[in-house]
Amino acid sequence: MSTAAQAIAKAPSFTRHSITRFQRAPWIVRKLRRSPTSGLPVPHVRVVTREFAPCRLSDHYHNTLKDDLMYMTYKHLPSDKPPPEPRKIRLTFDPNDPYSKFRYNPPVGGSQVGKKPAPPSTPENIVYLERIQLHSMVKESVQNKSNLLGAMMQMKALTGESFQGGGHHAVEGVQIVRGKKAVGGWLRPGIPVGVKVDLRGQSMYDFLGTLVEFVLPRLRDFNGVVLPPSSSSTKTPSAVSGVVSFGLPPHAMMFFPQIEVNVDAYPKLYGMHIHFITNATGVGAQDKARALVSGFQIPFIRR
Amino acid sequence: MLSRTCCRGARLSLRSYSTEVQNASQPTRSKKAMKPVISTAIVLNRSPILTRTPTPFETAYYSYQARIRRALHNPFPYDFYFKQGSLLEKRFNIEERNREKRAFGPGFLQKEDITEEQRQADIAAVEQLAIQEGEGETLAPRKHESDSTGDVKSLDRAGQRNLYLLLKTEGQGGKSTWRFPQGGVEKGQLLHQAAQKDLFAECGDNMDSWIVGRTPIGVYQPPTATPSPAEAPEHYVFFFKGHIMAGQVSPEGPGVQDFAWLTKEEIESRVEPHYWNAIKDILSDF
Repeated sequence: MSTAAQAIAKAPSFTRHSITRFQRAPWIVRKLRRSPTSGLPVPHVRVVTREFAPCRLSDHYHNTLKDDLMYMTYKHLPSDKPPPEPRKIRLTFDPNDPYSKFRYNPPVGGSQVGKKPAPPSTPENIVYLERIQLHSMVKESVQNKSNLLGAMMQMKALTGESFQGGGHHAVEGVQIVRGKKAVGGWLRPGIPVGVKVDLRGQSMYDFLGTLVEFVLPRLRDFNGVVLPPSSSSTKTPSAVSGVVSFGLPPHAMMFFPQIEVNVDAYPKLYGMHIHFITNATGVGAQDKARALVSGFQIPFIRR
Repeated sequence: MLSRTCCRGARLSLRSYSTEVQNASQPTRSKKAMKPVISTAIVLNRSPILTRTPTPFETAYYSYQARIRRALHNPFPYDFYFKQGSLLEKRFNIEERNREKRAFGPGFLQKEDITEEQRQADIAAVEQLAIQEGEGETLAPRKHESDSTGDVKSLDRAGQRNLYLLLKTEGQGGKSTWRFPQGGVEKGQLLHQAAQKDLFAECGDNMDSWIVGRTPIGVYQPPTATPSPAEAPEHYVFFFKGHIMAGQVSPEGPGVQDFAWLTKEEIESRVEPHYWNAIKDILSDF
């Protein structure tokens, strides 16, 4: 019998086992350590969960949006050399001075963040969605911290994120936003004023799909994210940071299927801000971010 | 990978175009031959309408990861989502036990503390609910009938792939060739506007289409038929990407004989090798 025929004869024994079903628990050879706090066995390896299903919107981005965005945002440079840097007329400390060598050395008058040109178009820096941040402010929590609980529960139900969920150390779950500055008679530093969640990867695309397919079409008074007038400045920090933001009122929350199933369980619904954070930077970054987000069917309108 | 090659292709071609124009303005040529002929072609794309079928490896990986998630998930707050003893809770419990069984096998399930009669009654009640809510509708198959009949004009064929519109036209010497929809540029017209107009002229206006951006995505210089290339004006075809949203093509142009929605591999077998070299990096592999 030739080797190929042997391989074919062996194949059924391989396919007899399902590739999707759990077969037999692995044989535990080494004695498992017990957690000192809970007394439960601790596995020898760090268990991390990764993608557990194909992601439709991620596929849509890689199949269709990425090419289109490259064509739409491509800026042609006549030569491979980068364009000459503008003449430096603003003073900085001597960069070769040992004192200032490795220090932050901004020019006089600030870092000119709004005037930085976008980086040259390359296949590596096509605009993509880095994360979605959901944020809701709860004013009543200044008086009483327990007022945050409703908003936390709502965020938890919306996103399903938990602290270091799935063994990822960078996943922070539902976070509490605290005051940074003292605002006369109202806020002090360290006082909780709201909650926020950062979504990345698969859960980000899941939330985006839910938002676009279940919530936005059912909102009567929502025609789209309002674009600023054409006379507005293109050099503000928000215009050059590649973020698209809009807000949803409290009554929009009941259109999320996660909340719709038991709206009555929530004593109060809280509105939220949604920030789509992309990798675009420099002049025109917000326009690139809008082009990307509209590719996921978030509507935009002009006033 | 695709986008990298596309981008590089676009940049190179644009650069070569600008140098070509400089060459053309050299004084050795006659005034008439100096002016190149420009036309636009539209790479009209139907994006995938189905998710890609995962490979066996991907299937195994996804189910393994789903099992880990299931094993590690936080406890589900039943009392927050369901009223005690409600029909919906029963349905959820039955479905959850099925999912649990599928993930870890029947030996993993804990024994239910209800009688067999009660269990059968619950299952019957849940089935009744499913009938009332009209569940169990059969989904459309992932393989459309045009895939089995080999109908290349259907927009529903090859749902997992990018399709591109190709027209069969009367070429030089009565020989018919396949190419993208194409047309000339009038004086004072912008390239992307000309692309939209040429698409309507050859394919009819029974479709919703959108031209992506204002910059061409590639360029093609057809081989000249005349023996002395210095005599003939240079000809450049600029490609624009477009999407079809709705409707269908109705071939209208004078020389247009037929049309087809094709994947990248199918295009290779139909077009001329020279044409294929110009367009192969524009088209998507998936």
